[in-house]
Amino acid sequence: MTRTATPSAADGTFDKADSPGIGAGRPGFLWAAPAAVFFALFAIVPLIMVAVLSFARWDGLSSPEFAGLDNWKLLFDDPVMIKSLWLSVLLTVLGVLVQTPLSILLGVWAAGHQRNRAVLSAIYFVPMLLSVAAVSVLWRAVLDPNFGVPAQATWLFGDGNLFGTQAGAIGVLVFVSTWQFTPLHTLIYQGAARAVPQVLYQAAQIDGAGTVRQFVHITLPQLRNSIITSMILMVVGGLTTFDTVLILTQGGPGSDTTISAYYMYQKAFKSFDYGSASAIALLLVLVSTLISLIVVRLSGYDKMRSTMEGL
Amino acid sequence: MKQRTRFSRTVVGGAALSLMLSLSGCGAGSDAADGDTIHVLVYGDAANKVEKELVATFNETSKVKAVLDTIPGADYQAKLQTIINSKQAPDVFFNWGGGSIKPFVDAGLLLPLDPFIAKDPGLKAKFLPSVFNSAVVDGTSYGIPMRGTQPVLLFNNGKVLKDAGVEPPETWGDLLAAVEALKADGVTPIALGGGDRWPTLMWFEYLYDRIAGPELFRKALDGDREAWASPDSRKALGKIKELVDAGAFGTNYDSVKFTDQGSPTLLATGKAAFELMGSWEYSTQQDAHPDFAKSDLGYSAFPSVEGGKGDRANLVGNTNNFYSVLKKTKHPQAVAEFLKLMYSDQFVKAQLGIGNLPTTTNTERFLDTAASPEFAKFQYDMVKAAPAFQLSWDQAYPQSAATPMYQALQQFFNGSMDEDAFIEAMRALPAS
Repeated sequence: MTRTATPSAADGTFDKADSPGIGAGRPGFLWAAPAAVFFALFAIVPLIMVAVLSFARWDGLSSPEFAGLDNWKLLFDDPVMIKSLWLSVLLTVLGVLVQTPLSILLGVWAAGHQRNRAVLSAIYFVPMLLSVAAVSVLWRAVLDPNFGVPAQATWLFGDGNLFGTQAGAIGVLVFVSTWQFTPLHTLIYQGAARAVPQVLYQAAQIDGAGTVRQFVHITLPQLRNSIITSMILMVVGGLTTFDTVLILTQGGPGSDTTISAYYMYQKAFKSFDYGSASAIALLLVLVSTLISLIVVRLSGYDKMRSTMEGL
Repeated sequence: MKQRTRFSRTVVGGAALSLMLSLSGCGAGSDAADGDTIHVLVYGDAANKVEKELVATFNETSKVKAVLDTIPGADYQAKLQTIINSKQAPDVFFNWGGGSIKPFVDAGLLLPLDPFIAKDPGLKAKFLPSVFNSAVVDGTSYGIPMRGTQPVLLFNNGKVLKDAGVEPPETWGDLLAAVEALKADGVTPIALGGGDRWPTLMWFEYLYDRIAGPELFRKALDGDREAWASPDSRKALGKIKELVDAGAFGTNYDSVKFTDQGSPTLLATGKAAFELMGSWEYSTQQDAHPDFAKSDLGYSAFPSVEGGKGDRANLVGNTNNFYSVLKKTKHPQAVAEFLKLMYSDQFVKAQLGIGNLPTTTNTERFLDTAASPEFAKFQYDMVKAAPAFQLSWDQAYPQSAATPMYQALQQFFNGSMDEDAFIEAMRALPAS
């Protein structure tokens, strides 16, 4: 992400201010070779192998047999698979809806100069530093129906059967990811909010705009590119969520939280059906690419319109 | 500009470094030409102590040396699957018998042990038959029992039972009456770690056995899918529903797990009265709640069901773990010698010492030396007398069946799937 963003930002923004001069030129392809080799070796080659495997039957023991379109046909007839795609999308959408407003508000707040802000921001950043696995295990214990918080707060949790109903389990997954990942997005917004030129606020104050109006009419529009960046991170992260599901719900109750990435894991490493698992993986790649493209198109991110125009 | 150069230099340097690392990583896996060794691969946990001892004993006398390799528990099956048909494959490996070795047998990777047994009949005769048989695939022996047996028993909290005036149930009727009495006492009658899903499976295994006898499941496993739709099958499902609807498990069992100490703690703290669990419940409680394990932890066989075809002495659970041998081992003779140690007195004493209950015929003589002799005797007598000892369904079926099976079990149990849908799901499982 940063690697592609840096040059365009440099070309678009800094050119005007301090041009590096005509003789500088762009770095040759040679400089990108190590990264390109790496990417080819660990991303492109495996991807091709997965694509090939998705047309084969393979249990990891004997050599793979060509299976034609069998895996794909089974995939589209499999109710769990179809459900898992919807669940992936649902979890992603819920994640974006919950995390975006929270992290914008927190980020803008953290960009200010209030008392205790630095201390509170630091504390708030802690979840980001913990591993996803540790966080999931922690919340699993906190949410235990008999010995955790739900046992003490029955007015809120009822019988505490959070992991036993679909709504409860999805709620837990969304909550735990929010707790874990909001700090990252807060950081993005904090940086972006700091970069908003003070002159805009000063002008607005002279015009008599209050805090809320300043937020809606200056801060939010200025954060536009950051919102899109953060949303794409959330969408990609959401569609590939795996560890939280593995530790918190194991796809249950029944198959009610079996999202596609987890279903792929079950097929590959529990059922040893690498053919079907590869088909799911490939489908997930296609769907994620498609969704990312749609987000990029709709948001105009590809054009990278500067928020500094006219300043 | 300067900064940019430095940045790219770092990147190039870093990439080169990681390339080197990954290359050297590949080299480390290659074979160190070990002609005169056999590799023994086991599930890594506390029981490795005994396996190390036995390997040392073997190496004292044998020219071919045994090397013990361990894979940490949770990853065992997946790792085994990836190496078993490669150069890194072991000579002898740990497994659960039944469905866990069936795919390897089908792929022609395993060595039939019948020639070994013909030479040394002890390799079969010295083990309890109900256990030995669960590593027999299509009439051929493929495994030698190598750890302890783990039958599933109905554990109870004696104090809670006493307070409610309830005895460990002998029959299904007793169990239902106990559920009512315990509910009236404000106790969850039965603790269940439904979040793990295999504890829920135990209720299905026992009720199917007690109502339809062990044959129904065997038929289904052998490919007679209609067995799931038989009247006996429906009757067993009806009993499960009856128990769940009576509130025997409370309402939040799907959020409770055995593996994170959830359900054992419910039993130990008296919030629940019963728990159906493998014999490891005993050592779990000894670790986590030693006082409770000493004074109030009780156990009994699963109750009989009135009018059912299954014997009350039938058991379900993990019959034992097994050593199987790969066909391509270079030292079959040495392997046969190694396997003989699995019924030696040293083996039995060492297993009993760490709390496992071996299933050899000479175990009986050493039961007094067990960590908890009374519990060891109770289990041993049950396993010895059991007309049938059904391997857990998730181990008996091929692995590809486990996930859909768990899903169906959990959904039927919590009411989100009806009887017909459950039967349909079980019929769709990939049988052997």
